[in-house]
Amino acid sequence: MPDPHPPRWEHDTETQLTSRQRLDRTARHLLPSVFTALVIIFFSAPVNIPGSAELLPAIVINTVFFWSVWRPSGMPSLAVFLLGLFMDLVGFTPLGVSAFILLLVHGIGSYARFGLMRMNFLVVWCLFGLVGAAAAALQWALACLFRLHLLDPAPAFFEALLCIGVYPLLSATFSWFLHILDEKDTP
Amino acid sequence: MVPVSIQVRQALSKLVLPVLLLMSVGIIIAGQADRPLADKARMRVADVLAPLWSLLSRTQTDSERLVHGLKEARNLAEENHRLSAENANLRRWYEVAVSLARENDTLKTELHWVPEPTPAFVTGRVVADSGGIYARAVLLVAGTSSGVQTGNIALAANGLAGRVTEVGAHAARILLINDIASRLPVELESSHAAAIMAGDNSPLPRLLYYSQDTRPIEGERVVTSDQAGAFPSGIPIGNVHYLHPGQPVVQPFARLDRLTMLRVFDFGQSEIEPPEAPGHVPLTRPHRALTLPFKTLLGPGQEG
Repeated sequence: MPDPHPPRWEHDTETQLTSRQRLDRTARHLLPSVFTALVIIFFSAPVNIPGSAELLPAIVINTVFFWSVWRPSGMPSLAVFLLGLFMDLVGFTPLGVSAFILLLVHGIGSYARFGLMRMNFLVVWCLFGLVGAAAAALQWALACLFRLHLLDPAPAFFEALLCIGVYPLLSATFSWFLHILDEKDTP
Repeated sequence: MVPVSIQVRQALSKLVLPVLLLMSVGIIIAGQADRPLADKARMRVADVLAPLWSLLSRTQTDSERLVHGLKEARNLAEENHRLSAENANLRRWYEVAVSLARENDTLKTELHWVPEPTPAFVTGRVVADSGGIYARAVLLVAGTSSGVQTGNIALAANGLAGRVTEVGAHAARILLINDIASRLPVELESSHAAAIMAGDNSPLPRLLYYSQDTRPIEGERVVTSDQAGAFPSGIPIGNVHYLHPGQPVVQPFARLDRLTMLRVFDFGQSEIEPPEAPGHVPLTRPHRALTLPFKTLLGPGQEG
């Protein structure tokens, strides 16, 4: 067994500290994705929450949009893609549709983030409303296309409304969360 | 890691989103082209997630039960009050019942009453709705090995269901009262008038041969009569209902289309043999013919 000399020992502690920091940072980056995955698992479970089928995409679209705008490092494209695929596998949408829609939302959010960050909350909400409605409409259109049958648009409407309605709540929660993370980051 | 310049890295990071979009489109197309593969992937994910889901749903049922328990606890006092009032009332009725039973016992002793035998019964599950030669008959998992005999009486939860017509070692066929071959002597409870209840394969068996001066009344209870010796008297069957004027039918208490369990009673009716009466010339054989359930199916000369 080799003797641990003092300089090497110090060096070890230093790398340990940095690896811990790295772990902390990774966890911080993974947090939105893990939260979304947990939401998907929770809402796809056979719990009878009214409107859970429409609430799940609404929450996921909200989360992806929020993090794409305010902290893109917490929601990279690959994570969005995997989350969408996971949602498709767990739910009953055609495989890849949610991934496609979420990637579009993510793209719009990260493309327009510098413009959006300077705007008033209400304006952002309105713009997000447009994005959410477009996402719901796209989902409905794709579902119609794959079934080759005109489906009832009422659930898509409901989903768009939920998407818009949930935004302030989730936005406030995530903002508070971001605040805490930033506070932790500074010292 | 391959060292790349900042420009190349930025270009690559810009490429990620379009590539992923293309990949998702590819997955959509592949999923549409090869549905079994997509379904297999879905099932694999569901398999992995199933324990989590069951945990979630169990938590939900537990919490619902908790909430329900709390709600119950809130009106516990009220419920308790109501129950104690009801209990006092029932206790009064219990006293009345005990005294009446005692009185009944004394009266029976005074009259040297011959007690009726308590019928033995077995309960079986209805397994098949097939009828053999009958249109409305069920098969019961209880046979001679459990003491079921031909001619026994099958009761559903709240009324007569039918009679045992054939019996094997582990199964018995029960002819329901609404089969076209079923004709039972019945009694109208309020007038004590006799009638015949004949099935016609419809859910409502008809009432026939009632006397014209005591017609069945709408809503009157119909019970079995012991006229032919096949049934003990007083087993509830159903209520009288008029489909059309002059066409009374019986609405059976037993749900004959959804039978799941039947109790088969052996009232030991066939063991009661009338004593020899000197001078009495029986027209048919004394009791065999009476216990035969379906005279109508057999020709007059074929009995016994």
